[in-house]
Amino acid sequence: MTMTDRDEMDLDDLLAEAREQRLEPGPDLLARILADSERASAERKLSGPVPVTGGAWRDWLRLLGGWPTVGGLVASTAAGLWIGVAQPATLSDLADSVWGEQVSVTFGVDADPLSLLEG
Amino acid sequence: MSRLARAMTRLDEMASDPPPRPDPEGALLVAYANGDQEAARELTVALAPRVLGQATRMLSDRAEAEDVTQEVMLRLWRVAPDWRQGEARVATWLYRVTANLCTDRLRRRRSVGLDEVAEPPDPTPSVADRIQGDARMRALSDALASLPERQAQAVALRHLEGLTNPEIASVMEIGIEAVESLTARGKRALAAALKGRKEELGYDDD
Repeated sequence: MTMTDRDEMDLDDLLAEAREQRLEPGPDLLARILADSERASAERKLSGPVPVTGGAWRDWLRLLGGWPTVGGLVASTAAGLWIGVAQPATLSDLADSVWGEQVSVTFGVDADPLSLLEG
Repeated sequence: MSRLARAMTRLDEMASDPPPRPDPEGALLVAYANGDQEAARELTVALAPRVLGQATRMLSDRAEAEDVTQEVMLRLWRVAPDWRQGEARVATWLYRVTANLCTDRLRRRRSVGLDEVAEPPDPTPSVADRIQGDARMRALSDALASLPERQAQAVALRHLEGLTNPEIASVMEIGIEAVESLTARGKRALAAALKGRKEELGYDDD
């Protein structure tokens, strides 16, 4: 594909002519555009104010790691609550098998602190 | 030149870089988003003629250009609440959205078929020059429609809007070399597309 000097001149003339095209919007078009702007404003008001910065809640959420972290937190909280409320039998069996038996350890001052010194 | 000297030169250049240009239209857009309807009026008066001009030069069809203008402005109203001043300029955004909507229209025109739409609608018979002018502009627009879209946008922004290559690069969100390549290929393709329409254009085919 080659462009001769003549083609280029013709095209340049045509482009220059096209650049000169000016159109002023008529009152109808301006009115339609302004009506759209009012409608868009009204739609925004209906859908509530848009927070400009996102607010403290969003900052806190971002600090935690965003929504995926919140999902994990909710899941583990629910699991903890369930374990606490339902106390599944398998869990106490598991605890018994790990500890073997109930052991109670008391830390504190003996009733007779001098007993250790006695022979 | 040592690396230190080069770094110092770059620092000097950075210090002399012009500060970001103020964007009063961006400020008006934010005011509109905050409920200032008078700002919308000012924006409409300032921007609608620009958008309509760009759309007319690309489409050469008043009704279509008016539809595009209304659509571009509607998108501007909708983007207003999310507008971040300083990140983008309203003028650049407008060039981009208008160019995209116009190439959408040109693509549809191409799929309808050039022959069906090549004639200007209802030419005024008494004004021969005007008919010739309209036909020439329409032929140019149809030739733009035959180009790949990115080429058509680059050529239109360069040769119809008179933007510089760096300006086109930010409108089209590409590098300056890509702009140079698109405008060069686009202009050659445009000349080729117009070659067979010399009669329509009023040129002697000698």
